Amino acid sequence: MDTIRLLIVDDVEDNRLVLRAICRKMEGFEIREAEDGIEAVERVEEWHPNIILMDVMMPRMDGFTASKIIKERYPEIIIMAVTAVVDPQMEENMASIGVSAYIRKPIDKEIIRFKLQSFASLLRAKEGTFKSLSEKEAMNPFSKDIRNFKTIFGITDADAMMDFGMWILGRCEDCMAISCTKVDTVIELFYELMRQGTCQEKWPSIIIEESFEEIFVTMKCEESIDFQPKAMGLLGELGSECIVRANIVSIRLRMQCGSKVALKEISKETIPEPLPIPVVAIKAQAVPNVTASEPILAKEVRVIQSVEKELLRQSFVHKTTAVEYVRDIGGDVLDEIRDLASLDEEWRDKLHILEEEPTSQNLRNFVDGVLGVYVGAINTLFEFTALAYALSALGSFLKENSSMIADDAKKLKNLIMLMEHLGADLASWREHIFSLQDAGDIHYLDSSFFSSCMQIEGIIGDKAVETDDDNEMEFF
Amino acid sequence: MAKRVIIVDDSRAVVATAELALDEMIGSGIIEFKSYLNPLQLLAALQSGSENFDLLISDVNMPEMNGLDLARAIKADDRYKTKPIIILTTESSNEMKMAGKEIGVTGWMVKPFSDEKMVKSIKMVLGV
Repeated sequence: MDTIRLLIVDDVEDNRLVLRAICRKMEGFEIREAEDGIEAVERVEEWHPNIILMDVMMPRMDGFTASKIIKERYPEIIIMAVTAVVDPQMEENMASIGVSAYIRKPIDKEIIRFKLQSFASLLRAKEGTFKSLSEKEAMNPFSKDIRNFKTIFGITDADAMMDFGMWILGRCEDCMAISCTKVDTVIELFYELMRQGTCQEKWPSIIIEESFEEIFVTMKCEESIDFQPKAMGLLGELGSECIVRANIVSIRLRMQCGSKVALKEISKETIPEPLPIPVVAIKAQAVPNVTASEPILAKEVRVIQSVEKELLRQSFVHKTTAVEYVRDIGGDVLDEIRDLASLDEEWRDKLHILEEEPTSQNLRNFVDGVLGVYVGAINTLFEFTALAYALSALGSFLKENSSMIADDAKKLKNLIMLMEHLGADLASWREHIFSLQDAGDIHYLDSSFFSSCMQIEGIIGDKAVETDDDNEMEFF
Repeated sequence: MAKRVIIVDDSRAVVATAELALDEMIGSGIIEFKSYLNPLQLLAALQSGSENFDLLISDVNMPEMNGLDLARAIKADDRYKTKPIIILTTESSNEMKMAGKEIGVTGWMVKPFSDEKMVKSIKMVLGV
C-alpha cells in the first residue's frame, strides 16, 4: 500500500483547512475533501478512500447518514466522526453502524495524528499479513525445503511490529513449538533492528517460512544492517540458530512436539511496548517489495558464535556526532527536548525555594517536579538511558534522605550548589547536542555525568565513592 | 606562596565536586583554584600568557577539544612543557592511558574520585 487515501468531510472550509494542515505533516497520506454528506458518498464512489474524517452536522446530508451509506457499501473503509456536539446517543449510533472513532472538536492535532497513524498501520499490517506467495524458493538460508506458503509482514511502525509479535507467538503456540526463550529473543532482536531501521527510515520486512519441523523467521532490510551493541548481544544469544547476511537476518525456530511451553505467560512481557519509539520517526512507507527468489551469496554467511559476543559488543560501539543524531531523531522529539529550556529557570527557582525554606517537602518537590520531568524527557531518547538512569537514581537517593538533608544546613548548602551545577551541565549538554550540534560524540557527557551523580550521592550521604584500591592515581 | 591549580572540565558538577574536595587546601592557602569549562579558552589564555599554572587537571571528553589534544598543545609550548598535567576522566582503557603517557602527562585519575584520593594525589604532584 503506497499511500493511504484520506477523505476530509466538513461543510466549513476553515475546518477542512485545519484538518488538512494537521494531516499534511504525516507522510504517506493522499488527501481529498468533500463539503457535505452527498459529496462524501460521491467521492467514495469515484476515489474509494481508505479513511474518512467525517463531520456530523452538515447541510444536505449529515455525517451519520453518509457514514451509514458508505459503511453499507464499503465496510472496509475506516470512518472517524469529528464533531463539536457532545451527544452520547449519536456516539452510540455512529458506533452501531461501524464508525471506528468519535473525535470531539476543538480538534487535538495529536489525537488526530495518533489515530490516523494507528489506522494506517492497521491497514498496512492487514495488507502485509497472510499474503501467500506461490514461489517455493526459500528466503531463509537454512533450508530450501519449505512449505508452499509464506507470511510477510511489512514493518513500518511499532504497531506492525506488535502484530508480528502477536502472530509469531500465536503461531508457535499452534505448532506446539520452540523454546519460549528463543521466541522472546527473536522478537526482541527484530524489535531492536526495527527501531534502528525506523530511526534511519529504512523499512524492514519479516518473512516467515515453515518446514514440517521448523519455522524460519527472516528479516530483510533494504540496505545493509548496521548492528548496534544491543542487537549484537541478542544475535550472540541465538548462536548458530541465526544466520546474518548483509541485509538479512534469519532465525530458525525448531518445533519441539509435546513441549508446549507457557507462551501465554511471556507474551505480554515479550512484546515490547510500542511507546519508546520516537513517534516522529514513524513514517508511512510502502511495504518493501520482497521477492522470494533473490540469490543469496554463500560467502556472506556469518554465524555469530557466543564466544564472540563480548568482543562484538565492544567493537561495534561507534561514535555518533550530534549532527547525525539530531538528523535521525526527528522534529517532534527535538522540540520536546528544546522545550526543556523552559525548565532551566524552574530548576533554579525550586532550588532557591529549598534554600529559603529547607524542608524535606521542598526537596521532594524538586525531585518529583523538575527533576522528574527531565528524567521523563531524557528517557524518551534511547541513546541516553544511562543519563536518565543517573538522574533518576540520584532523585531516589535524595527523596529517601530528604529529612536528613533538610536537617543538615551544610549538606543542604552543598547539595543546592551541586544541583545548580548539574542543572547547568544539563543545559549545556542540550545545547551541544540539540542546538549547536557541535559535539563530535553524543556521549561526551554520559560517563562524567554518571560519575558526578554518584559523587553527589557520596558527598551528601557521607559515603565513600565505590572505587577499588587499584583506582589510585596512576603515575606515568 | 600558594600553588596555582587549574581544572578544566566541561561539567560544572565535576568542577564543583573537585573544589569541594580541595576545600581545605584552598582555605589554608596551600593552593589557589581556578576552573575552565572550555579547554579552548584555557589554551588561548595560556598561549597569550595571561594564565599560568603549577598543576593542570584535565578531563578527556569535552565537546570543544579533547583533553589529550589540549595536553599535547600545552606540552608543545616551552613555557609549560615541564608543568605537571593530571588527566581526570572516566576513561580507563590502556590505549588512552598509553596515549597520555606518550604526550607526557604526569598521572591518570579515574572518576568518580574520593576526596582523600584527590587531595593525596595533588599533594604528591605538587610536593606540598
